[in-house]
Amino acid sequence: MLKTFIISFKLKNTYRVNSIIYSLKQFPIIKKILPDSLYKNKGLKIFANIISILVEIINIFIGKLLYILLMIVFVMSLYKTNQANTFIHIFTFLTFCGGLLNTYMLNPTKDKYYAIIIMNMDARKYGLANYYYKLIQVVIGFLPFTIIFGMMYHIPLWIKIALPFFVVSIKLIVMNYILNDFLKTKQATNENLPSKIVWSIVAICLLLAYLLPFVNIIINEVIFSFIFIISFILGIYSLVKIHNFSSYKQMYKQILTTKNVYATSNNTGTKAMKDMSLKQIELDKNYTSTKSGFAYFHDLFVKRHRKILTKAVKKQAIVIIFIFIAIIIGFKINADFKTSINNILLQYLPYFVFIMYCLNRSSSVTQAMFMNCDHSMLTYRIYKEPKVILGIFKERLKTLIIINLLPASLIGVGLAILLFLSGGTTNFLNYFVLVVSIIAMSIFFSVHYLVMYYLLQPYNVNTEIRSSTYKFVQALTYFVCYYMIQIKLPTISFGITMIIFCILYSLISLILVYKYAPKTFKLRI
Amino acid sequence: MKLVVKNLKKSFLKKEVLKDINFSFEKGKIYGLLGRNGAGKTTFFNCLNEDIEVDSGEFYIILNNTKRPIETEDIGYVLSTPNVPEFLTGREFLKFFIEINESRINNLKTIDEYFDFMKIAPDDRDKLLKDYSHGMKNKMQMLVNIIANPNILLLDEPLTSFDVVVAEEMKQMLKEIKKNHIIIFSTHIMELALDLCDEIVILNKGILEEVDKNNLDNKQFKEKIIASLKEE
Repeated sequence: MLKTFIISFKLKNTYRVNSIIYSLKQFPIIKKILPDSLYKNKGLKIFANIISILVEIINIFIGKLLYILLMIVFVMSLYKTNQANTFIHIFTFLTFCGGLLNTYMLNPTKDKYYAIIIMNMDARKYGLANYYYKLIQVVIGFLPFTIIFGMMYHIPLWIKIALPFFVVSIKLIVMNYILNDFLKTKQATNENLPSKIVWSIVAICLLLAYLLPFVNIIINEVIFSFIFIISFILGIYSLVKIHNFSSYKQMYKQILTTKNVYATSNNTGTKAMKDMSLKQIELDKNYTSTKSGFAYFHDLFVKRHRKILTKAVKKQAIVIIFIFIAIIIGFKINADFKTSINNILLQYLPYFVFIMYCLNRSSSVTQAMFMNCDHSMLTYRIYKEPKVILGIFKERLKTLIIINLLPASLIGVGLAILLFLSGGTTNFLNYFVLVVSIIAMSIFFSVHYLVMYYLLQPYNVNTEIRSSTYKFVQALTYFVCYYMIQIKLPTISFGITMIIFCILYSLISLILVYKYAPKTFKLRI
Repeated sequence: MKLVVKNLKKSFLKKEVLKDINFSFEKGKIYGLLGRNGAGKTTFFNCLNEDIEVDSGEFYIILNNTKRPIETEDIGYVLSTPNVPEFLTGREFLKFFIEINESRINNLKTIDEYFDFMKIAPDDRDKLLKDYSHGMKNKMQMLVNIIANPNILLLDEPLTSFDVVVAEEMKQMLKEIKKNHIIIFSTHIMELALDLCDEIVILNKGILEEVDKNNLDNKQFKEKIIASLKEE
């Protein structure tokens, strides 16, 4: 098994080394310095290998650190309960979620696909070797942080050490259950497509993790010890069963289809992604269009993509209304809740940048625009004329803004109502700023995604992303929005800044599109 | 009318794909473009279609002895893999295409007449393009490129996905329309090239050359073509 592991590790490493060299080549200046025969260049290989191994090591720790920071430490301040126990409480319930959602073994990744399907390696040996490696990573990755944060919160030493093993035990138990299930049903589970039951359990665990501490119900060291000992024993039992399981090959054959594998590989999948996009097209004979030219073309696009356009925002709207109603009911029950919401509305407007980012449909819509429309249309010269490009751009911008405006205006108005019901404010301007800034954010995201798409059109004819700038801008957008979560600023000043920023950004980017899009909006070669 | 290519050069990194292309294509002829895998046929088409920038050289149209640059409407490019907007029906696609091209289309026909011309069955005309077979998508792609009536048609392996009957239909169709167009046709199938094309041009080592048939019979001509393709 060790041999299998070494081979598979080398395989993964080669793949990663080549990706590193490939991405180095994407930078304009470096591209010129690097030799053509760079994939066999020894020095470069060694350099990429060092980076690859660093990435491997960083991956082990950074992921775990971020997980504990973002999911536990940052929210701890919300609770007034005993800190040590709250930490253990949230960690325990999140571990249940993680156990279900992240099994490692059932994740259809490219390296598994290459090794098992293409190179025909022994599925059991490969699966187990990499599974054990992952589990060891879990222990090594978590241990320093459970100890550091454990010391911060005065958690007993043995629990600090037990926590990583608890994670492993839960993963083993879930894995064993899934393997048993496979023997019975012959249906393999793809962990990236969790069933409704799994989602429900995850949702319940999340609620238990974050809501129970609010009402002062948390597990303590004794209860944790009890849960841990049971899980540990079951975990060892599961480990034996997993080790002796013999149908890995059949299982992987089901999971590692090209469709599954490419669906998960960072959106660069070609055919699978195309298939996914095609599924979004609906033909309803009743939906035709009376318009003509670009408007006709775009109108049909919108009507045939209701699933990701209008239907999706309607669903959002319903959920938003429910949440607002729930909060208003909360007001009646608990007066403290009222003051904290009032405080949030007047201090934490930046948080809503992230919420508006998550709700905005533009990113997936522009992707569908490419996959189902521009991918083919851009091969026609006539479609690349400035007149056509800008004509369709205008139609698209209108649609994107209008569609995203429905949930945005609900949130804007809803927040203003909440502000009023939670005790109001002396400065009337706050109401106005809440509504307008939320709407401005929504318009900003709609403009942003569409403009980025038109200025950086990142795909080639095989629907692969060929622009590192585009990826960078996307990642940057995410990080900036995420960073906003932690910012606390008075609603009026932040809101007004935001409104001005959105207006300026939209104006500038529209000018850029009109100037440059006819040149930039084409298939990458 | 002539399409003239002069000193066209294109390299990728240090690899010179098109070294020095000089050629003059004439109206009324179908040119069979042959070349080995990776010879640069698609690169050549991409250059002419202005999908990629050339490193140096130029290409232009000569009409009544005056030189003029190539406009958008001059070129139709049919790719080997058909690309059609899958969310539209065949009819809707044609409608849109005709609407945005209206000013350029001479003797506009009805949509059904176009379908008849391309032999697309009435049952298929109102289906979504995503449910069309590969060959049917190819027909649609060819059709919209012909409707716009470009002076130059670039066809990249266009007949390989058709069944024998349709391929024969398409060959006839190309022969019918060739008198008003310059048609450049890339293929790997020698028989097709000999059967359909008026001239055979070979892209080898980054240079484009015509292979003269002279008085050779088909067998000798084939041998000559293979010999020039093999030339190192």
